[in-house]
Amino acid sequence: MDDDLSQHYQGSPELLMFLASTVHDMKNSISVLSGTLEHLLTNVPASAAAPVPAAAEPAQYQQLGQMLYQTRRLNDSLIQLLALYKEVGKPGYPFDPSPRSVRELVEQVEGQARILLQSRGIAFDTDFAPDAIWTFDEELVIGVLVHAINNAIRYTRDRIRLSVRVDGDYLELRVEDNGDGFPPAMLAAGAQAMDVRDVQVRFSSNSSGLGLYFSSEVARMHRHRQRTGAIALENGGDLGGGCFVLRLP
Amino acid sequence: MTAMVQSDGEIDWGAKRYLIVDDFVGIRQLLRESLRNLGAKHIDQAASGGEGMMLLAKTRYDVVLCDYNLGDGKNGQQVLEEARIRNLILPSSVWLMVSAEKSVESVMGAAEHQPDAYIIKPITEGVLLTRLNRVWIKKQIFSEIDQAYADKDYLRAARLCEEQIPVNPLHAIDLLRMKATLQLKAGDPLGARKVYEQVLEERDYNWARCGLAKIMMHDGDVEEAQKMFQAVIADNRFYIDAFDQLAHAFKLQGKHEEAFDVLQKAAKLSPNSVPRQRTLGQTALKLENIPVAERAFRKCIDIGEYSVAKTVDAYFGMARVCGKKNDTKEAIRLLNAAVHQFGGDQVTLRAKITEGLVYHETGDFRRARKSGDELEAMLADDSRHRPDTATCLDMATLLFAVGVKEAPVGLLCYIARNNHDNVPLMDELQKIFDKARMGDEGTELIRSSRKEAADMMNKGVLLWKSERLQEAIDWMRVARHALPHNMRILFNSAQILVSRLQQTGYVRELADEAIEVLMHVDAIAPGQPRFAQLMEQLALLAPVSGVVAAAAASEYEAANGAVPDR
Repeated sequence: MDDDLSQHYQGSPELLMFLASTVHDMKNSISVLSGTLEHLLTNVPASAAAPVPAAAEPAQYQQLGQMLYQTRRLNDSLIQLLALYKEVGKPGYPFDPSPRSVRELVEQVEGQARILLQSRGIAFDTDFAPDAIWTFDEELVIGVLVHAINNAIRYTRDRIRLSVRVDGDYLELRVEDNGDGFPPAMLAAGAQAMDVRDVQVRFSSNSSGLGLYFSSEVARMHRHRQRTGAIALENGGDLGGGCFVLRLP
Repeated sequence: MTAMVQSDGEIDWGAKRYLIVDDFVGIRQLLRESLRNLGAKHIDQAASGGEGMMLLAKTRYDVVLCDYNLGDGKNGQQVLEEARIRNLILPSSVWLMVSAEKSVESVMGAAEHQPDAYIIKPITEGVLLTRLNRVWIKKQIFSEIDQAYADKDYLRAARLCEEQIPVNPLHAIDLLRMKATLQLKAGDPLGARKVYEQVLEERDYNWARCGLAKIMMHDGDVEEAQKMFQAVIADNRFYIDAFDQLAHAFKLQGKHEEAFDVLQKAAKLSPNSVPRQRTLGQTALKLENIPVAERAFRKCIDIGEYSVAKTVDAYFGMARVCGKKNDTKEAIRLLNAAVHQFGGDQVTLRAKITEGLVYHETGDFRRARKSGDELEAMLADDSRHRPDTATCLDMATLLFAVGVKEAPVGLLCYIARNNHDNVPLMDELQKIFDKARMGDEGTELIRSSRKEAADMMNKGVLLWKSERLQEAIDWMRVARHALPHNMRILFNSAQILVSRLQQTGYVRELADEAIEVLMHVDAIAPGQPRFAQLMEQLALLAPVSGVVAAAAASEYEAANGAVPDR
């Protein structure tokens, strides 16, 4: 199915077919899992005010939310592993930048995060120029932002904010939370991810290393007139907690 | 038709008809649930590509959500191609291709039948709705342009693109891309080149680089074009259009080995393209690389089986391969299969030519001569159409080789009459005469044939200039009958008809005649500026813009086969 996989496995079409169909299966399973959980969560409101059946216990609602969160983490990791396998950042990676509406980008990110955030009682704010147009690979940028939001869920108290603004020659996208901020080790890993002298995935660190590597490679693939995209992790921002920043030329 | 669209215009997705094609029942249920939440009531489902095709044949869906990976049988791309070519989906329908991961197909550049959008699992309602709205708005912006394109009124379509650009900044790049395509179709490569250069100042889009390089290649700047295609490939290993074009650039430089290497790489990246496998097979055959030619033609036949792009060329190529392997029996079997499956005068004629070539190459001169005699008999029947120029040249070469004389001379004179101002082609004809040891005789034959055509054309022009339009029209009908493939005569003929219409006002019969002539000339020589100009003048004359031309165009295609798009 995927021709780029054949580049690696020219000698073994069976392995290639096996990998392709396994990925397909896993994605199907994750789709059904997260779709079903979202469905259950929407039909079972958190407020016990509504007269609902026994299943609507707050504890069960929270457990469903936890399941959705873990499913999304699985999905993130699968996307990132696949990107790593397909050599994200190299000429063989399917990179497809086009002019996109910032409003539609925010809509889609919000659409993916809304139910999960609701289920965990986290408020979600957005702030963007609705008429802005920018050129980027939408699928990859959505992947990076959704991952940043899933990550912020771990650090926030009760609020996450996605803001997008044009800053001179760059589009700046920020995912901020109102928690206690990223621990120093995380900030250091963030700085390292953009260090040009040290461009490789930190397998030694934990799974957040993979996410950072993926995000930094996606940023780096975006190039325009000698300018290159970048990511950064900071503490502070409008909500006083951790901030993930993606800048695209 | 309102082309200006408010981006916040509400669309009633509940009233649309939907088709879901996925082999996994869980996904079908999930998608159905999402669509119901959008208010949809009419939702059909298919578990395989075949089942999907059956439903598509029965119902015109507004939205199709089709998984790319459908297990055994057709994949999503093949379902889309077949549905488009069999006209089972309306131009206004939305096709969303669902896949498990970011696919290389989306960035390959030349996949002829792109879906309206790709969408990656897991699909949430928000993403689905955003994509549906986006595609719908884009279709509104392009609807009038697409209609003018379908009517082959390329100049108007290009102007419509221009009008839309300032009001639709989000689609400016797509509109520019379309404008360049239209300018190329209208025979205005200079205009298209300016558009590509303008786009490239903004950003290095691969399609613009390839477009520019194609024009450079056409202008004879082959080496520069080659470098540009190579640069595109270096940036994007999957940009398949650049591979195909690079192979062409090598061929133009006579570097057949290099072209062959590039084609092999392209066929490896994207093996399921009938035209690509055919080109690979023909190039391999030329280089006498029989194993590769065999594999390519075999693959071409296999994928053609389930594809509307099925081609008889693969059978002829395969027969040649068998001939080279001294297996005449298999070659003849393939030729019979080709005639049986495809039918028609042209195929029968070409099968006979290939048969002669195979016998000739395997040293069976007696049978080769017999094929030649049979060909001669076929040609004697004037009621049959002559094949295209390349086939005629092949046939004349073969007939001379097997010792037939009169028929190939007739063929070569026919080509000379129909292409009287094409000097490089005349040189080719002379070479064939030289090889048959008829050099001097050939020179004289070519000269008189060309004069015959020029005289016919001049008589028409004279009548036209002296305002005897009705006589000019009558004379051009005679000329067209005698020289059915002469581009100059065809264009002049259409020009005279248009002049007449401008004088008398719109007359249905004359307009239809002009359109038929123009469709024919566009089929044999696409991308001529005169075609675009005359089509535009005709469209202005028509009482209902475009509609008449479109109807006549489709009538022409129904009677004579599809007019090639490129």
